[in-house]
Order: sequence, then structure tokens, then C-alpha cells
Amino acid sequence: MSWDKVGLPTKLRHWYGDMEVEGYLYTAGIAGEKFFKTLKERGKLLASRCMKCDVSYLPARAYCPSCFSEITEYFEVEPEGNVETYTILRVGVDGEKLEEPVIVAFITFDGVNGGLIHRLGEMDEKDVEIGMRVKAVLKPTDERRGEITDILYFKPA
Amino acid sequence: MKTNIYVKRRVAVVGAGLTLFRRRMLETPKELAWEAAKMALDWAGLELDDVDAVVIGSAPDAFDGVHMKGEYLADGSGGWGRPTMRVYVGGGTGVFTPIAGWWHVASGLFDVVLVVAEEKMSPAQPHPQFVFKHIWDPILERPLNPNLIWIFAMEMHRYMYKYNVRKEDIALVSVKNKRNALDHPAAQLAAKITVEDVLNSEVLVYPVQRLDISPVTDGAAALVMVSEKVARRITDSPVWVEGVGWALDSTQWTNRELAYPKYVEVAARMAYRMAGINNPRKEIDVAEVYDPFDYKELHHMEGLMLARKGEAPILTREGVTERDGDLPVNPSGGLLGVGNPIAAAGLMKVAEIFWQLRGEAGGRQVKKPAYTGLAQAWGDLMQAGTVIVMRAG
Repeated sequence: MSWDKVGLPTKLRHWYGDMEVEGYLYTAGIAGEKFFKTLKERGKLLASRCMKCDVSYLPARAYCPSCFSEITEYFEVEPEGNVETYTILRVGVDGEKLEEPVIVAFITFDGVNGGLIHRLGEMDEKDVEIGMRVKAVLKPTDERRGEITDILYFKPA
Repeated sequence: MKTNIYVKRRVAVVGAGLTLFRRRMLETPKELAWEAAKMALDWAGLELDDVDAVVIGSAPDAFDGVHMKGEYLADGSGGWGRPTMRVYVGGGTGVFTPIAGWWHVASGLFDVVLVVAEEKMSPAQPHPQFVFKHIWDPILERPLNPNLIWIFAMEMHRYMYKYNVRKEDIALVSVKNKRNALDHPAAQLAAKITVEDVLNSEVLVYPVQRLDISPVTDGAAALVMVSEKVARRITDSPVWVEGVGWALDSTQWTNRELAYPKYVEVAARMAYRMAGINNPRKEIDVAEVYDPFDYKELHHMEGLMLARKGEAPILTREGVTERDGDLPVNPSGGLLGVGNPIAAAGLMKVAEIFWQLRGEAGGRQVKKPAYTGLAQAWGDLMQAGTVIVMRAG
């Protein structure tokens, strides 16, 4: 009794099941807590530097994955950087046509390794290009919760 | 079963590391893995640069709530830019991870392998119990709304019935292990309790009571495993991996006599043959036996042939398995006392044997001289057995 010949899966005798975990509680960790606190309270991005390798990481890491040293050197970075690459979403996750295309970019920042994925806004899709300068548009301080969505989007700098 | 015991190279454990075992840790799974891995390297006096390959062990992705957990954990485990793999046999993972580490080295492929096991049980809501639920057959058993404790309760009851075991003797395991854990700096549930405390604790699923069970835990553990050439260079006290064994039974758990874990025996026989052990009860000096429930320590001792069938409760009552006894079992405090971050719990046991055989277990050091030790884990639908035998060099 093969799936293809029957056509609709529900035409086979079947049992419904689901994975009943209601959800997950994730923690941001040692470095992540610092990163989001800085974003919330100071509107800046937090990076960290391995003094042994002289390599910096954004978002901040508590350890160096390259040499395994503990990282204790943290520093703030202005939320302004360059578009490393981008994509334009025309179809949503359920296959629906989006009324407005959404631009998503990988943004790198001056003087640090790593970067962030975020949305671009206040710009026409025709104007976006790799290498362009963008800066973060943040929620007002009292509305920030220490989450990545405290940044609404990045706009042309 | 035929195994080629003429393995290519000897393998030594030269370092071990552990995080705190706690119900809910702030650290991300990667940060936990790094903490344990870093401690293991420091113990061995090695740097990450010395590591050739990495083996990661973690039980279902659904506990941490991160898919492809091996890949996810890689950069906290030293796996960045190195040959790295993840192994997984449910609760048996913690001992299977160093078994995989062993073949990485024994095969001649690598000289220094970092072995890391991590589990965060706290993220899944409302309880990791709901993750365990999906080990059952979705059509045959899940419509009955099973709970993990059901099968343990039925196995425990069958074991008690078949060998006429009293609950008081089973409770002694919980009392012993939680007391042993008082000397473990990472322990979550160390306590001085009595048999009466266990017998008076809430009945969850008869005959399983609250104090018969290990807790929900976050944590990580790590080992450094090296070739003989490296071991001779960096340490005077290597701990040799002398035998490894693993075996699976069917997930159709109604196919077997629950009173005896045959799959553990199969795994143990493989490891003993490789290690040249003919009489485990006499030749094993110290054992870390998987104890997510108190009766499981007894059940597994019998599967490991450290006791005859039905004899483990008697040995326990006579004090043979105490830290100062003739066959100390779970001197660490085990899962009942130290905690149960699934894969990390099994590797914690291997780390304990490493420390015991080196005489580095501090307040947990067993009284008798310990030259040969064993660690065992077990998992999945009561079907996976993993065993490692180690000797002091």
C-alpha cells in the first residue's frame, strides 16, 4: 500500500500524533545576557575579544572557540555597519504572496568579526546593494526588552 | 558474538572535566560544553591546538530544543575546523561517546581526541517527560497516554517479584548514592536521607516513589583520550581503556523478561573479553553503574555480572557496594545524587572512574586500591547497553 497510489495521506487508515512539548525556555547564556542587557540599556551592540588570538566576536562570546580561552574583554560597537549580503522575500513561510517584499540582510560591523542577520527598512528594494552602509533603528528605550527585536530594522546610514 | 580484540593501538584517558549539575543553568549548551571541555584539557595539560578530532555525545535534540545538536555544540566542544561527529544512543550515549572516542584513536586515525557530552534538560516545557513520551510506538502504546515512569515501574515490579526483592533494600541504593554525592562538588541532589525517607516519599507510579528517581538536570562532561605515544609523553598515570562493549535490544520491550537486562550482559561480555576479564566480580575494583532509578543500579549490576541474578540487593544490604566496601558502586553519587543530564551523566561516570583509578577522587576515593574500573550506561526504550572497562597505568 504505497502513499503515491492512494493519493491523499488521510485516505490511509491512520493515527494522529503530535510532539507534545508545549515550548522551550532558552537562556541567552553568560555572554548573551551581557549582549542583550547592553542592547536594552545602551542601544549598542556588545562584542568580545580573545586577547590570546586577538580575534573579536559579535555577538559577544564567553569563550574563544579557536583557542578555548575564557573571554573577559567586552566592548561596545555602534549599531552601524555594512551589508555583506541580502535577500528579498516575496513569498512567506506558508507559501503566501507577500504584499510588501521584505529585505533581509547579513550585516557586518567595523573592526569586529561576525555580524547579525536583520531586516532592512525605510528603503526601496531597488536601492539595496551589497556593501551599502546601514544603521539600526531601535525601539524607544522604555519599550526595549533585551531582545533582538529591540532593533526594528536597519536603514540606510 | 565475535569481536576482533587485536585492536590496532592502545588508548588512554588523560584528562576529565565536569560542569556543575543543576536543574536550570544560565549557560547556553555551548557554554556548558566549553566549560567541561576546557577543564578536561587543563587536567591533561593540553591545549585545544593539540586536539586532532572531537566526538560529541548528546541525547535527543528535543531536550535542549536545538536541532542538529552535534553541529550546534561543535564550537563549544573544540569542533571548529576539526573532524567532528556526534553519537547518540539515548541514555546510553554518555558511555558510548568515549567508546566512539576510543575507536577514533585505536584505529590509528587520530592521536588526541576531545570527547564532550552535554545535555540541558530544563528548556522543554512543561517537563522533559513529554520528550520521553515519543519513544513509544505511536499506534500500539501511545494511545494509552504512557509516562516514562510506567515502564520503569513495571520493570521494577517484575524485578522485585522475580527475585523476591524488598523495597527497603532498593531504597538503600538511593540512601547510599545521595550520601556519596555529599563529597561531589558538582552534585545537585546530595543528601543524608534514610530508608524511611524513601519509603515515606510520595508514590508516583507504584512501586516508584519520589526518592527512587534521579532529577531533571543541566550539565556537561568531557574527557581527553590519546594514543599510547602521546600518553607516555604527557603523563605518568594514564588510565587505559581496556575494553568497550555496546548492544541494542528491540524497541518492542514486551519481547523480553524485564527482570534481567540481557543487552547489558551482551555489552559487558564484549568489553570483558577485550579486557581479558573472566570473573568481573573479583576483577573489577570499582564500578559506576547507571542509576537513573535506585533499582536500576541493582538490575545493572546483575546484567554486568557483578552480582548473580537477584544477588545485588543482598550485596547492597551487606555494605559491599559502599565506598569502603569490597565492590564500591557509584562512589560519585551517581545519577541519583549528582544528577542526570542524560549524556553528560553517563560521561560523568567515566570521568569518576578516571579519577578513582588515578587516586584523584578526593573525598570520594574508594577505600580499597582500585586498579580496574567499569562504567556503564543504558538507555532508549530500556534497550541500549554501553560498557567501558579501564585500568590504571
